[in-house]
Amino acid sequence: MAEKTSQTQNQPEELCIGVFICHCGLNIAGVIDIKELVEFAKTLPNVVYVKDNRYTCADPGQEEIRKGIKEHRLNRVVVAACSPRMHEPTFRRTVSEAGLNPFLFEMANIREFSSWCHPSTPKEATEKAKELIKMAVAKARLLMPLQTIEVPVTNKALVIGGGIAGMNAALDLAEMGFKVYLLEKGESIGGHMAQLDKTFPTLDCSICIEGPKMVDVGRHPNIEIISYADLLSVSGFIGNFKVRIRKNPRYVIAENCTGCGECKDVCPIEYPNEWDMGLGVRKAISVPFDQAVPLVYTINRDYCIECYKCVDACGARQAINFDQKPEEIELEVGAIIVATGYDIYLPYDNQLYGYGKYTNVITSLEFERLILAAGPTGGKVVRASDGQKPHSVAFVQCVGSRDANKYPYCSNFCCMYTLKHVVQLKEKYKEDVEVYVFYMDMRTNFKGFEEFYQRARELGVNFIRGRVSRIFEIPETKNLIIHAEDANLGMPIEIEADMVVLASAAIPKKGTEEVARILNLTRGADGFFMESHPKLKPLDAPTDGIFLAGACQGPKDIPYSVSQGCGAASRAATVLSKPTWKIEPIIAVVDPSKCRNVTTKCGICAERCPYGAIKAEEKQPAQVITAMCHGCGTCAAECPADAITQMHFTDAQILAQLRVALEKNPEEKILAFLCNWCSYAGADLAGTSRFEYPPSIRPIRVMCSGRVDRDFVLEAFRLGAGMVLVAACHLPYDCHYISGNWKMKARMDALAPMLHKLGLSPERFRVEYVSAAEGVKFAELIREMTEQMHALGKERIKAENEKLRPILENMLKRKEKR
Amino acid sequence: MPLKTLKKEDAETLTLEWILHVKNYRLTLDRKLCVGCEICSLACPKEAIKLEKQPKTPEGKAQRAKVDISLEKCNFCGICDILCPYGAIKVTLNGEHALNVIEKESFPQLIRDIQVDTTKCPVNCVECEKACPLNLIKVTWLTQDGKIVEDLSAITKKERKKLKVNVNVKKEQCPCCRVCEFKCPEGVLHVRKTFYGKIRIYPEKCPEDCRDCLDVCPITGALYISEADNKVYANETFCVYCGACKVVCPVAEALELKRTKIMHTPVRSGAWNKALERLASPLEITKELKAKGSQKALGSVEKRLGWKVT
Repeated sequence: MAEKTSQTQNQPEELCIGVFICHCGLNIAGVIDIKELVEFAKTLPNVVYVKDNRYTCADPGQEEIRKGIKEHRLNRVVVAACSPRMHEPTFRRTVSEAGLNPFLFEMANIREFSSWCHPSTPKEATEKAKELIKMAVAKARLLMPLQTIEVPVTNKALVIGGGIAGMNAALDLAEMGFKVYLLEKGESIGGHMAQLDKTFPTLDCSICIEGPKMVDVGRHPNIEIISYADLLSVSGFIGNFKVRIRKNPRYVIAENCTGCGECKDVCPIEYPNEWDMGLGVRKAISVPFDQAVPLVYTINRDYCIECYKCVDACGARQAINFDQKPEEIELEVGAIIVATGYDIYLPYDNQLYGYGKYTNVITSLEFERLILAAGPTGGKVVRASDGQKPHSVAFVQCVGSRDANKYPYCSNFCCMYTLKHVVQLKEKYKEDVEVYVFYMDMRTNFKGFEEFYQRARELGVNFIRGRVSRIFEIPETKNLIIHAEDANLGMPIEIEADMVVLASAAIPKKGTEEVARILNLTRGADGFFMESHPKLKPLDAPTDGIFLAGACQGPKDIPYSVSQGCGAASRAATVLSKPTWKIEPIIAVVDPSKCRNVTTKCGICAERCPYGAIKAEEKQPAQVITAMCHGCGTCAAECPADAITQMHFTDAQILAQLRVALEKNPEEKILAFLCNWCSYAGADLAGTSRFEYPPSIRPIRVMCSGRVDRDFVLEAFRLGAGMVLVAACHLPYDCHYISGNWKMKARMDALAPMLHKLGLSPERFRVEYVSAAEGVKFAELIREMTEQMHALGKERIKAENEKLRPILENMLKRKEKR
Repeated sequence: MPLKTLKKEDAETLTLEWILHVKNYRLTLDRKLCVGCEICSLACPKEAIKLEKQPKTPEGKAQRAKVDISLEKCNFCGICDILCPYGAIKVTLNGEHALNVIEKESFPQLIRDIQVDTTKCPVNCVECEKACPLNLIKVTWLTQDGKIVEDLSAITKKERKKLKVNVNVKKEQCPCCRVCEFKCPEGVLHVRKTFYGKIRIYPEKCPEDCRDCLDVCPITGALYISEADNKVYANETFCVYCGACKVVCPVAEALELKRTKIMHTPVRSGAWNKALERLASPLEITKELKAKGSQKALGSVEKRLGWKVT
């Protein structure tokens, strides 16, 4: 530890850089003249030791590094070998084993970026490798030791949403021994599943399987249900969240309420029960459904007339208190699981279906409440118009879903619940009822689903492939005429039905926007929450320590939601089970003496930070919340006063790389800024796939394209660069820092026209989007840009640069003065 | 079917409706019966009822205030139905006049105590029918075999003595003004008031020739113009204390109206206490609570008002 602290201070001693050049067998040495590299490296400033190895990453190679550090008192290490995406962690460990701070290490990627992609031009490849090493040494000279940050972890969790996903997440975490707060907006946990009659494809009763689970949650000593409450705010960061919650008054004291229901019996007031989708009624003092957990009654003061009959009925239990006030509480948790679920779209706005206009048109969730034995009709499917059982029922699929004008996505479970409804109807009323299903595609792609579909077909349900174009009501009978196109017959058809059931879309829960704001979550175009990575981090929110489960991330059926709940619990446990959490030190740091926010109202950094990790209070220098910073560097690029430094990717370090890269023949070079996660990986892939492209490119790695300051571009052109490329993750959602690529785009979109106006040929400055899978695209891009560069010709580029230089110098000087 | 909430209005009725899949709540206000008094708007626990003052007619007569009920606030409890002295509001469930608040003893019913000893009614006498300002009384005669006599003049004097007199009062629309009682020549009609109170008009504060209160008063004789000074005065004997006059009175202090007692069936209910407090005054409610011996309710009222009832 003492050793480490001595390194934290800026080293007073002279720089001693060691360069280790790897042959990688013949992978590098087969193309590049290693001897030449060694000799070249020896000439670089502050380089005191150069050594080549057959395999630097193998044990003997690593040992060489450790030996070199000890024997030659090296305080910076450069390894010229493969991609840092491959072995940077390995070598960081190696140098730290020899007592050097792991961040005093830099890599030159001479394999993927040189030997592998320029095999037919070994001379140029060697030349490029030399410059890559030179760039790495230039950066290494400016490296600073950094310490990994550790924050303590509160080993409690908050689960937001008490549906089937949230309940499972809470139960799993509680079973692992963590204290869990389960926050529910409604009066009872259970979610949509508690509204359902049966579940597909097994037709087991929904509440019969969910009810016991709800009771388990209610009884678990490690779970505290906070129901009928709203999330007000969340502050802090992974391991250390502070959550403010408002408990709304039920006007019933939870501890005293026994759930006997005597109050409900004497209550004279009824109001439409939102739990029943407004089909039935509940009392002004009641529980939404009999199996509610917690079984605490609630008075709806919007309807209550305060006759106090309930107070009399409650008697000595004294559970009713009309003076209850909202109560705010604050919790401290280490991890948060968001399981806020979905809503059902009510197609009032779609005239085609006549929902809300024609009495006998209902949604599937309303049908669910009708066929449910505990529902408002006692399980009788009856028409609202005459209270009679329908003799023909038409089910319409994809109402709102897969509709370019409404919700373009598939709502996932509607095909299956409609199949369940038709099977239930057919089995209940047999020949007495004729059933039609209008569908586009029947999506039955999970275990037992297809078999269930066959069962429905065998029961004699009429499946009609085609979209419904219009529904009309016959005023006398209140029957409905469905106009549709039968795609199989290829002609329009007309069917009369007594009742129409609309399988309407699952949409983001009301209030999703608010939750997204409070937790700083991102939402997709469909409005559902975005996961951190669609394949490899499907349960992680982009903010560390926050996880997603269930339909809040997209429509999901019950088993999928349960799996996600359990998965999110285990993800959260990776945080909760540790006493402390380590945070990468590649973060942004504000120099308060430079920050403009002290004197003027600035706050640009706070506004642009994709993670909300910067606070800029009035008359105060901006402050980075270290644990929330992900190190994209967007703020550093945006800061108008250059007051923000991104550790390990400082302005000085990047400019040093840039200047070295453009030292010789700049007008023949493409200076490229590649974001670590997509474009750099794409370039790596071009190398590993051995796609050959011209060796004209000089790449600089940044963590995110958001880091690319406009000054970098200006400086590159001032130094005479032939071309400048900024490559990022694809828009709109691929950025690994939520929206760094968008911030870069906005910045460069403003810069490009200015450069054009100053006489720069448009093709010389490019912003491109290359994913980690697009090796071909990267190679082609460099080929194309090189061709363009040649087409423009060295002379023209030089002439343009001559014209530009004084202006750019002026711009950069002005900035320096500031 | 999803929940449908409706508000329909025409010249004669205002209808509010909750249409659920299996239930239908409906409130109907009969504008022909409504006199624009303040009872319902004061009594409504949800403050859903508002009175809109109407402009004067071209002839310069004041018009009764118009009642408007908010669909968003109304909970179909039926308290307005129960308390309307003129029976202008009906709340129904699935078409039937069913009031949960009465059934669950959450609210009392008004007592309309109207007694007629028809055995003493002289045949031929239709004084009460003629007197009723709201046309709620119908006098009929029945023959011994129970047939209704259509034309009295067709029956001989001798026969007439055997006829049975039937006085039919539309009780649910009767505000119990006692006009019929006073007009009855034989004294066989006894009416006890439902609303008791005090009304006083200060003629010195009345604008010159203002007849607004008189224009809207539904009870003939409850307000009258004094021949002495050509000003309007109140006759407490007939006044039903509905407050229609107070609603239209253009000067704040010219007309004073206070309700002191409302005749109702026995009940223990916070909703009633609050309604009474708004209709009468906190003092009246404490009196009633004291009389009933509801110490707990009395305590909470006293706590709220900050003074002790003696």
